[in-house]
Amino acid sequence: MPISAGYVARETVSNLWRNRLMALAAILTVGVSLSLVGTALLLRQSVNSQLAALGNNVDLQVFMKANAPAGDTNAIRTTLHETPQIKSCAYLDHEQSYLRAKQLFQNQPLIVSVLTPATTPPVFECTLIHPNEASAVANLFRAESGVYEVAFPAQSIRSLTALSNVLQIVLFTIAVVLLLSAVVLILMAIRMAIFARRREVAVMRLVGATAWFIRLPFMVEGLVQGLIGAVVAVGIVLLGDIGIGALLHRFAEFRSAVVPSHDVVVTEILVVVVGVVVGVVGSAVAVRRFLSV
Amino acid sequence: MIRFENVTKTYKTGSVTALSGVSLDISKGEFVFVVGASGSGKTTLLKVLLREEGVDEGRIWVAGREINTLSNWRVPYLRRNLGCVFQDFRLLPNKTVFQNVAFALEVIGRPRQVIAAQVPQVLELVGLGQKARRLPDELSGGEQQRVAIARAFVNRPLILLADEPTGNLDPGTSQGIMTLLDRINRSGTTVLMATHDSTIVDMMRRRVIEIERGRVIRDQVRGIYGLDPSHSTTRGVPAVTGVNGVGGGAGVGSPTAEAAARAATLGTERQPVERLAAAADTGPRHRRRAH
Repeated sequence: MPISAGYVARETVSNLWRNRLMALAAILTVGVSLSLVGTALLLRQSVNSQLAALGNNVDLQVFMKANAPAGDTNAIRTTLHETPQIKSCAYLDHEQSYLRAKQLFQNQPLIVSVLTPATTPPVFECTLIHPNEASAVANLFRAESGVYEVAFPAQSIRSLTALSNVLQIVLFTIAVVLLLSAVVLILMAIRMAIFARRREVAVMRLVGATAWFIRLPFMVEGLVQGLIGAVVAVGIVLLGDIGIGALLHRFAEFRSAVVPSHDVVVTEILVVVVGVVVGVVGSAVAVRRFLSV
Repeated sequence: MIRFENVTKTYKTGSVTALSGVSLDISKGEFVFVVGASGSGKTTLLKVLLREEGVDEGRIWVAGREINTLSNWRVPYLRRNLGCVFQDFRLLPNKTVFQNVAFALEVIGRPRQVIAAQVPQVLELVGLGQKARRLPDELSGGEQQRVAIARAFVNRPLILLADEPTGNLDPGTSQGIMTLLDRINRSGTTVLMATHDSTIVDMMRRRVIEIERGRVIRDQVRGIYGLDPSHSTTRGVPAVTGVNGVGGGAGVGSPTAEAAARAATLGTERQPVERLAAAADTGPRHRRRAH
């Protein structure tokens, strides 16, 4: 027997309205918890895209002065090879280094416009045997003649990653606890709705309504609560993303941390799916436990 | 239409045997009273018919289908063939008379046009055509029971089960309800009514099944309420009428020669309901009050 969508919609709306405070509590809890989930996911993506831009495997970068004589460069190369902590090194000359810089700063045409191959420093990119020795090894080269700057990106990446991991774990833990309470709140809301409609349910059983006909409005009620909560969360996460994105755009070095919009969309879809699941699980448990059909 | 074969049912809590070796055969179009003291198993009999309760032993058929082996998802379809009326009406207080009756069709997925056509028709049948927009609270007890009957009958079930439908009503109002049930019975619906109301049973002179401690101790065509069990436990006992109902003596009286003589003078060819009306002219009075 087909169940009329109009009937289910009417029942759901009237149930939600009758039980609106409980529904509001459930919706807000879902909203807050899913906002945290969304934030944690975007944070992870932001860090990942930042890492991809910086290059993950480079422990040590030795930039030569743009006008450093070839002798200096050769001396450094030899020293690098003889340093026991260094595993291997790659050399990018003026041209290669220029191409890389152009790519790295593609969003900043001003910087690209003043760069030429001749003014771009050539660079040695090295991996270390023990990456945590990067700063000690860097000090060895900082004072060498012809060296313009020594950087160790991987280490800052590592501390960034560690920070973001801690943050993500905290956010996810809070989110999971809140999601569990959201499930319980939806369960209780549906339980109250079932209790409020016990007479209708008794009559429905009596005149031969099918089990699903009786259950469906309650299931849909839970689903709608989860869905509305998810929509609230999507709004919060989008606003946050736009605000933080605008902030990041002001600082050149964080521009690559801005999460591409298709990733944001994927995250939001995930948030909606989780919201629906929370709603359905909550109402399914309530229907199973408290509704005999 | 209904067939019980050695049905036994014991409730888990408490060791009372609600039904014990009950065998019954009720044909289509019959009107059957189920009588017995409280706790004798009358209500259980109705509940196992509805599959509200399962049975421990024995088999039950309704409309040619065995119902105790029915899978759960088919039970609603069984119940669509069984209209139900209770002592406490079980109307939805926030719905009007029309909506209460329409609800029964709505929740089994009947289309709107069918509801719009059938509900007024059945309300007319129970005499509440003018009160379709009232709420149950605004109606008398008798009228509320009529709404409940309309709800049970609107889907034209094969069988109407009534569990003490007159239990909360005064005698006059009860007569009106019985007139209605009789009319529904004559349209071909099998009626099974559990009752304590001796007056009504004695007036209607229909088949009476008496249950005591879960056993059928009497099954009598055109029976009365309070037959001394020692007289007969078989079907087909000749009609013995009670006294005329208003006095209420019939409920306790065993058949006497006097009663039998009175039965003869009342004439068995008359329809029970006419007799009922003749005996207790309270139906119209009830209707006047209700309007």
